[in-house]
Formats: sequence, structure tokens, C-alpha cells
Amino acid sequence: MASLIACPHCGPRPKEEFTVKGDAAIARPAADAGEDAWYAYVYLRDNPRGRHKEYWHHTSGCRRWLVVERDTVTHVVYAVLDASAQGETA
Amino acid sequence: MVDFALFHRSALAGAKTGSFGAASTGSRIALTALSEGHVLHVLAAHGSGALRGLVAQIGDGGPYAVRAYGPGQWFVVGDAALSAADLSGKAALLASRASIADQSHGRVRIGIGGASVEAVLAKGTAVDLDQANFAIGHSAMTLIGHISALITRTGVESFELMVLRGFAESLWDDLVQMSLEFGVEAKTAD
Ligand SMILES: [Zn+2]
Repeated sequence: MASLIACPHCGPRPKEEFTVKGDAAIARPAADAGEDAWYAYVYLRDNPRGRHKEYWHHTSGCRRWLVVERDTVTHVVYAVLDASAQGETA
Repeated sequence: MVDFALFHRSALAGAKTGSFGAASTGSRIALTALSEGHVLHVLAAHGSGALRGLVAQIGDGGPYAVRAYGPGQWFVVGDAALSAADLSGKAALLASRASIADQSHGRVRIGIGGASVEAVLAKGTAVDLDQANFAIGHSAMTLIGHISALITRTGVESFELMVLRGFAESLWDDLVQMSLEFGVEAKTAD
């Protein structure tokens, strides 16, 4: 089940301790990329079936941003990394 | 410097005290409001490396003065109130490798102990509190019910909880409720 997320800093914690911020695979466009690229970045999201990477914030724990790779069908969690560990944030 | 004197009122001054729940189970819980001395939130500067030893230097030397919170974050706590001069002295010790946010006014410590203390806290948090996993001196930030709290083990059968001041009385009431089956002694005055 996806109800336990293994935070790399805190260990397994219930999903209630986290805030989910959605798709971690989309890339921020260049500042001058144009309206369509920015519209897509800000508003357009897929609703994937299967393996999916998402940003999760450990709001009630270490307060780190994490990238959780999980399956939206089976709820299997494949990996949980600190977002900075894979160069997603500074 | 302040322009007028601030009157410090204990966050748990009005919390309920006395004996509640089961009369004598042999594993009664003791709930104690702890001194509102100082609580310092220490945040590491980016790329400042391992700081644990440095952070320990701004503590008062007590065994649980430094409590790890997350990567590069600690709470340093103690029973003594700190002056502005004390604080800038501690900030100087950190030499720009970490900064201090004074949370003495913002977070409150509650002591909880007794033979059944793990069973009581397990009603509120999913953290595994077994001593094999949660040794004396270990800390974990988690939810107790819907309230965020830092749990620190201070003994085989004793823990300290640190909670945002505005939630202290609410958590206190929850802890009394969670302890009823074992019986609980709730004490706010020193
Ligand atoms: Zn965490």
C-alpha cells in the first residue's frame, strides 16, 4: 500500500504526514519559452496509470522535499529519494 | 531592545491537572509541563558539511540538549532562559555555518513517562517507539494525532514532546485522554 512512505531521513511514515505536490517529471521551461510552454507547465497534467514520479513534502516530519516513485494502480512504492539527491532542487 | 516589559505566561498554566482515569494499574502515566527556558532552531547553511559537533557547543551540556530534526536542522533546548547577549554569543560560535531562530516563545516541552508510555504514544504516532528502534537520546518529528510534535526519548520509560505553543494545551488534553486506561497524573507547576 502507498499509505506508508519510507522517508530516506525519517523511516516509514503514514501518508498523512506528507503533502503531495504532483508530477516530478515535468521540466520548467526557459523564461522566454512562450505562452504555450508555460501554460502546459503550469496547468496541464497527465493522469497516468502505472509507474509515476511525484513530489512529496514531508510536512509533519523532516520537512524535506522528496521524489516518490510509485505505481498508481498497485500502490507499490519503488523508490523514495530526497529531491536534492537527484538534482531536482538546489 | 523591547520598549515595554513582556509578561511571560506559561503555555500550560491553564491546562487541567490532577489524577485521571484508572485508579491503580501499576503502569500509571506521569504528564509534566516542563520549563519554558530556551528552544533554538538551528539551520545549517548550504554546503556547510557535518555540523553536529559545532551545534553541540551552543547547548547547555545537558544530555538531550541537541535534538536532530531533519537534515541540517536541530533544536537546541534547555531549562534556562537566554538573554539577547546569550543568543548573539551562541550565533557567533556557529561562525556563519548555521543560523539560529529563537523559538523559546514558540515551542513548549511536555514530559511523559510511565511503564505504559510507549503504548500511550503509539495511539498517536506511527513511529516505532520500541527501544531497539528508538534509543535513549533519539528524536523524531512526527504527528501525534493531528498535532506536529518532536518526540525525544529521555529514558527507558520516559519521553519529551515538543509542540508549537498554541497546540500545547490541545496536545496535553489528548495525552490525558490517551492515558486514561492506565491512569494519569498531570502536573503543570514545578
Ligand atoms: Zn522525513
